[in-house]
Amino acid sequence: MFLRMVCGTFYRQWKKMLMIALTVALGASIATAMLNVMLGVGDKINEELKTYGSNITVVPQSESVISKLYELDEDVRYDYLKEESVNELLTIFWANNIVDFAPETDTTVTLDGNEVRLIGSWFNHHLEFIKKGTTYQRDTGLVNLRSWWDIKSGKWLDEQELNGTDYCMVGETLANEKKLSAGDTIRVKGEHGTKELEIVGIFESGDDEDKCIFTTVTAVQELTDTSGLIKKIEVSAITSPDDELAVKAAKNPSLLTGDEYDLWYCTAYVSSICFQIQEAVPEAAASAVRQIADSEGKILEKTELLMSLITLMSLIGATLGISNLVTSGVMERSQELALLKAVGAKNGQITRLVLTETILTAVVGAVAGYFMGYAFAQIIGQTVFNSSIEMNGMVAFIVAVLIVLVTLVGSIPAIRLVLRLRPSEVLHGGH
Amino acid sequence: MSLLELKNISKIYGDLHALDNVSLNIEKGEWIAIMGPSGSGKSTMMNIIGCLDRPSTGEVIFDGKDISKESRRRLTELHRDKIGLVFQQFHLINYLNAVENVMVAQYYHSMPDEKEALAALERVGLKDRAKHLPSQLSGGEQQRVCIARALINSPELILADEPTGNLDEANENIVLGIFRQLHKEGTSLIVVTHDPEVGEEAQRIVRLDHGKITSDRKNEGFKG
Amino acid sequence: MNKKKRMFIRMITASLVRRRSRMIVALLAIMVGATILSGLGMIYYDVPRQMSSQFRSYGANVIIMPSGDGFIQEQALQTALGKFPDAELEGYTPYRYENTSIHNMPVTLAGINFDSIMKTSPYWHISGELPEQDGQTLVGAKVADKLSIKTGDSISAVNSFEVTDSTDTSRIPDYEIYTDPKTGEKHCDHALDLKVTGILDTGGSEEEYVYVSLGDTAYLSLADRGYDIVEISAAATQDKLSEYIDNINSSVRSVSAKLVKRVTASESSVLTKLQSLVFIVTAVVLILTMICVATTMTAVIAERRREIGLRKALGANNGSIVGQFLSEGLVLGGIGGILGALLGYAFAEIVSVNVFSSSIMFQPLLIPVTIASSVIVTGAACLIPIRSAVEVDPALVLKGE
Repeated sequence: MFLRMVCGTFYRQWKKMLMIALTVALGASIATAMLNVMLGVGDKINEELKTYGSNITVVPQSESVISKLYELDEDVRYDYLKEESVNELLTIFWANNIVDFAPETDTTVTLDGNEVRLIGSWFNHHLEFIKKGTTYQRDTGLVNLRSWWDIKSGKWLDEQELNGTDYCMVGETLANEKKLSAGDTIRVKGEHGTKELEIVGIFESGDDEDKCIFTTVTAVQELTDTSGLIKKIEVSAITSPDDELAVKAAKNPSLLTGDEYDLWYCTAYVSSICFQIQEAVPEAAASAVRQIADSEGKILEKTELLMSLITLMSLIGATLGISNLVTSGVMERSQELALLKAVGAKNGQITRLVLTETILTAVVGAVAGYFMGYAFAQIIGQTVFNSSIEMNGMVAFIVAVLIVLVTLVGSIPAIRLVLRLRPSEVLHGGH
Repeated sequence: MSLLELKNISKIYGDLHALDNVSLNIEKGEWIAIMGPSGSGKSTMMNIIGCLDRPSTGEVIFDGKDISKESRRRLTELHRDKIGLVFQQFHLINYLNAVENVMVAQYYHSMPDEKEALAALERVGLKDRAKHLPSQLSGGEQQRVCIARALINSPELILADEPTGNLDEANENIVLGIFRQLHKEGTSLIVVTHDPEVGEEAQRIVRLDHGKITSDRKNEGFKG
Repeated sequence: MNKKKRMFIRMITASLVRRRSRMIVALLAIMVGATILSGLGMIYYDVPRQMSSQFRSYGANVIIMPSGDGFIQEQALQTALGKFPDAELEGYTPYRYENTSIHNMPVTLAGINFDSIMKTSPYWHISGELPEQDGQTLVGAKVADKLSIKTGDSISAVNSFEVTDSTDTSRIPDYEIYTDPKTGEKHCDHALDLKVTGILDTGGSEEEYVYVSLGDTAYLSLADRGYDIVEISAAATQDKLSEYIDNINSSVRSVSAKLVKRVTASESSVLTKLQSLVFIVTAVVLILTMICVATTMTAVIAERRREIGLRKALGANNGSIVGQFLSEGLVLGGIGGILGALLGYAFAEIVSVNVFSSSIMFQPLLIPVTIASSVIVTGAACLIPIRSAVEVDPALVLKGE
């Protein structure tokens, strides 16, 4: 009989039930969309922030100090990293968070009687290797790590297209000084020979690199007779903002307790990624570039906080909206429920009936709303970030719990009202 | 003089003949009870008399004019001006107090006037309950407010649909007392009821069954 | 007409006041919508400003260099800085580099202004303290590592040079000048005694310098000259910054200003994304709340079909019923709009204080916009169900169930 009454309600009151279902669907879709966006926004903004360039540098452990400045380095001996060390970056636990990386080696060369810094790096390198039976591959290089470069003339050096290693890109300041343009060939003299490099493009970077020449790693290695060696690796990784644990670990990871250590190691903090790089390349020292890492952390933290507050507000809005409509939906049916009372239904039975109906309706609405929310999240992702937003399984659970709670809470005032009703009053003309 | 004349009217809903070729003449100042079991066509007749509905066929002559073909809008004006309605379910607006409920009828008729409205409530013995909301009034009191509302525009005809259906005996008597008073003052009254006791109060009793008038007689015991 | 109007108002107030629970339900829905509109609206407008100041943690976004081989003179610098609106100029730090030696190792000394350095390089991690006065120094981690310098150490930066007849010796203490017994040449080891107050860790090339005050570099080098470079941090968009820079480059010939592309280009792209994120979120939430308001109003009106029927039976025409219900809706919309606008402002303020630790910029225009939109939306949400409700046949409604 109970079932029959529930079915009866759906049959007769389908319009009102549809309205409740619709509201629940709307609320659920807001909740789903906002929660997914909130949980995904960190990654999305993080990817955007990658345009600031590398946030980790890897250098040989004993790299000497005042190298880059004022030609003081005559008697300073460099130590190098092996070029293959770069491969190791792809084998660490957080390899997927490393979005870009490029080796760097440099030397001072003579161009037209002036000393100029020549930097060898990857532009759009295709890295592919097999280690322990697994094939690793990645396309990476300066194209991504120097996304702010403004190509004034010519184009980016395309390693895949150009054959050989004798190409270069020249900074704008230097190009203006030497009257160089794309297509020209320059002659540079290094410690161990001379090379002719063809200029592919002129770039503006807005910093000291405007005075430098960028070429392939091999070209620099040939000029310095350091085959297979590099001086530095720039790494751009998606990281989690530092918190107390990260600060504690940064001082000395060995001071952490076992659990803390596991948590730290398995969280994409800058410090844990650095730590893992050092594990993989023991002769290297990886350190965070504070300017990038700290600022990223700060901006991420603010963005996530902002989004979570907006989400909270939307959730409150959705919650109020749903409980509101559930309340007015049940109120509308006060006559019918009073009739049940008049024919002898007990308060408990009516409550059970109303709750069952409402929750069944809400479940239908919530399922529909979840998929609507998915669509909304994707619209937001595509419009703002040009990429889809990953759906988090947690969200479905949160939304489900939220909807059931809200529906129950929304039913309370209406049920109380119904229970207070005297059947005669309702049936005899009151509203 | 005839106030209202129904000539061969029928009301057909699909296959159902709610009213089947009914003719009835109502004099000014007459008190008529329309009686019959449920489904006999009482309510349909009442709606047609009250200008809330139009017959499918036949003529309704009100004050000498055929109104059966009038537009709904015109019908609304007509019943607003000439007819006061009393319902079984009272139909008071639950957020307005007694006097305001009476004033609503004035509002749509002509001009709201609180004094007149209070006077109407006094007539039904509810002056001291004027500021109460319907939920604070008993069923009988609500029905009296409803009557006051029906009276306020001095209608030519008061049309009451089961006015005592939801009332206990004491309240029923009060309501009937008011009807008697109205009748004395010359107001035409049509009371639709299935309660013989209420019916017996009227001057003339019309019985309906299956959409047809089965009897139409003068009430011998009318105390008028 | 007057009495009629009074009755009209009386009916509406009675409906709003005495049907309290239902009206609160409707009001809540409207208020939520209005709150979201005004709150998210204010956040939307303020996000670029607020976030932009967060982006200042990347440090300087404009640098000024001498245009030729010379130095930047204080006067030229002040003229250049004058091109930035005061409100947007977060800070600037002049740098003056001097080569010197510490513990007989070559080291580059950077003279800076310690008061402003955290504005232009907020990402500096200092273990120890930032120097506060002349004679104190901050040592880059790499230098400290190489020369085994610790916080609290006293070090000496030495400027050695040959004293010739043209050398101005008035500022050199006598004991620093000695004569080479073999060659007879006069030499000077001009020393600057420094107390190390902290070690600098940045992960970048900043760790390769020793930082002292500008006064100390002047003392050590025995020369008053301008700056090598000036870093500026300004809270402005890339377009605006370019404008200021063009202005500087065309009016101050002796210096050349440059945009730090790495910072500005990325900042503007991230900010745009963030703002459009808030915008689209606001739009989606708003559309959904509007539907919510509409369904609530529909429910509230559906409930009153019987009343509508009765009013019709009492002789009301459709227009007057629509008029009454619409007025109720508009009053609700107005009240909900006003409350929502204020609540939204409060919400935006809470968000701003919590996220950015600063007050939200009040957008006065949003208040009337919010109120107007909630009145319009509520009115529209009322109109649709009323129009169908007044078509109801009073006879059907009044007959009973």
